[in-house]
Amino acid sequence: MPTLTIDGIEVTVPDKTNLIEAAKMVGAEIPHYCYHPGLSVAGNCRMCLVEIEKAPKLAIGCFTPCQEGMVVHTSTEKVLQARKDVLEFLLINHPLDCPVCDQAGECWLQIYYMKHGQYESRMMEDKIKKHKKATAIGPTVTLDQERCILCARCVRFCDEISKTSELGIFNRGNHAELDVFPGKELNNKYSGNVVDICPVGALTDRDFRFQCRVWYLDTQDSICPGCSRGCNIQVHYNLDRPHHAEGRRVLRLKPRFNPEVNKYWICDEGRYGYKFIDDESRILMPQVMRNGGMEFVSWDEALKASAEKIKASIPEELGVLASPQLTNEELYLIRKLFVEELGATQVEFRVPPKEEGYSDDYLVKADKNPNTKGAEEIGLAVGSAEEILKAAAEKKLSALVIFVHNLVNSGLDDSLVKAALEGVETLIFIGSNFSDTSEKANVILPSATYAEKSGTFANSEGRVQRIHEAVPPLGESLPEWQILNELARALGLDWDYQGTEHIFAELAKDVPAFANLTYEILGDQGQTLGYVPPAEEEALVEHGELEAVRAT
Amino acid sequence: MAVEFPPEVKREFDELVAKYEQTRAALLPVLHLAQREFGYISPEVEEYVAGLMELPPTKVHEVVTFYTLYHKTQPGKHVIRLCKTLSCHLLGAHTIKDHLCRKIGLENGHGTTPDGRFTLELVECLGACEFAPMMQVDERYYGPLTPEKIDEIIDGLTDEPVVENVDEG
Ligand code: SF4
Ligand code: SF4
Ligand code: FES
Repeated sequence: MPTLTIDGIEVTVPDKTNLIEAAKMVGAEIPHYCYHPGLSVAGNCRMCLVEIEKAPKLAIGCFTPCQEGMVVHTSTEKVLQARKDVLEFLLINHPLDCPVCDQAGECWLQIYYMKHGQYESRMMEDKIKKHKKATAIGPTVTLDQERCILCARCVRFCDEISKTSELGIFNRGNHAELDVFPGKELNNKYSGNVVDICPVGALTDRDFRFQCRVWYLDTQDSICPGCSRGCNIQVHYNLDRPHHAEGRRVLRLKPRFNPEVNKYWICDEGRYGYKFIDDESRILMPQVMRNGGMEFVSWDEALKASAEKIKASIPEELGVLASPQLTNEELYLIRKLFVEELGATQVEFRVPPKEEGYSDDYLVKADKNPNTKGAEEIGLAVGSAEEILKAAAEKKLSALVIFVHNLVNSGLDDSLVKAALEGVETLIFIGSNFSDTSEKANVILPSATYAEKSGTFANSEGRVQRIHEAVPPLGESLPEWQILNELARALGLDWDYQGTEHIFAELAKDVPAFANLTYEILGDQGQTLGYVPPAEEEALVEHGELEAVRAT
Repeated sequence: MAVEFPPEVKREFDELVAKYEQTRAALLPVLHLAQREFGYISPEVEEYVAGLMELPPTKVHEVVTFYTLYHKTQPGKHVIRLCKTLSCHLLGAHTIKDHLCRKIGLENGHGTTPDGRFTLELVECLGACEFAPMMQVDERYYGPLTPEKIDEIIDGLTDEPVVENVDEG
């Protein structure tokens, strides 16, 4: 644990901390391009030069480990001049692309140039022309070689994280170019991450390119619902520019750092899996079967119709298929309403997938649901989906409530599904998008997607993490927890849940695994099930001290 | 053409690799071996070498494209490297170049002749300023050059590459 002085502030840092990280701790920013905390250190861009007392020349902050007694200056005149010079070099062959460059607004050449730019250009030579401009180098990424500053972050990502080594820097000197091997593609399960770490506009996302200027984007923290890993993400959206991106509101997902879950990365399946949020298949209004056809109705009518059907069923005739796509708060209300209040016994959340999902030894999990663990803890695995469907097929159920699932394309036997969906008298579907299953329903209640509501998911390791509403529910759709609250009221119960935090507090009291957890404790990085708070007496001591301090 | 070392070259490869602690360290000599065997280093050759050495093909391509002494396309039967650095320049490398180009039938001053016999590269100092102006043909140095000397050298070439030996004429 060396102690050193940075810009006059003394700081003690863990062993092997480099100067860039140490400077962050005292609030000083050392500009850098090639350094990325999730990758090995390359030391090639020279942007991070700092002055160290008693050292003969400037040193790079990324590759210099902190040492006892070091005295470091991050913004002396010499350092500032060095940054200017490095930037001048980096820009020698850089095109004047900002107006047409997708990176503009989040480009580290632009950002650092504002502060450390030369401004008066001294370059008279012709620029070296590179080969690939706006060229797709794989299914997800577009390459623009003349914008590349050869920091090799993307190369190291493919060597060290995806372990696919598709990228290299070819030729040399000012002819050096970032590229794929001749005739090959950048194509791996994590390829989109190279766009995030490219500090400039050399690698851009084919999916997001030209959809929206980045300064029009708002962001909201969330959790990827793509699998049970529960990668931390940011939802980037725009509500004011319906003329962009065919009116889509959610425009891209970005990884959000969580050392316990996904570090700096997400997989491509998760990254590009957001399209259903603004898809044409969204269900926008409640619908009820009337005179042989589905009719749009108001929420009141739809809830009333649902409540009537549910009331008419005795507990044994009521089937419920909850979903591990739902939040803990919603699953808890499902249990409370259907199991505890109505006494249903045919309740389950697991529906086997058609085929085993892709998984690897890094992030991606085979279970494509974000909240299987939560559903298990809350206790919704009572029967089995197959048994429930058998009962429906044999006309032993009078009402079946299906949340989210599309049974038609699942691992369940096709003929059983068909017989069940047709055999049950009342099929209530609660979900966000139309499917072959919603087709068969006589009541459809439109629900919000994960980007349109708040709540929590528990990942496969039992880490409970929060999602937040980024965009409002589309059309008349509502979060499931709200639908359940309203349905309970329509059934004559005096439920009045005001928000998900309210539900979570009750859940934490009721379900042992969730004990002691609160939204505050979950924070933005989550907390594991079975959480034990700091020992009570410790808290008391602290409390006592606090009181003592207050008294003086 | 399937890219593969014949058995005796494969043996040479194994010997080369055995000299180094890490396989990867043998990459430069292995590429020279491959160039000798296949004439030039195409992406197919890179992939073959990468496979033998258990390296990603991109790493081999990085090395091949970094060094000018690896040919990326089929060179002529003879590779001529004419020095363009200071001593040779002062002693008339320019006139020598013009004459040489006319002699071998090369129009744009560098590259490979249409008959595929010669490749001309203009290179930096070859460390033989005492022969200035000088050139290297295949593995042999020639100098000091005059137009007459050029004619003599070119006319005297067979289809076989010239082997290493300094002509002090
Ligand atoms: S493409 Fe981007 S990440 Fe890759 S070397 Fe160039 S600037 Fe760096
Ligand atoms: S690994 Fe799973 S949770 Fe993470 S981004 Fe991919 S699909 Fe989403
Ligand atoms: S960040 Fe230190 S040299 Fe690039």
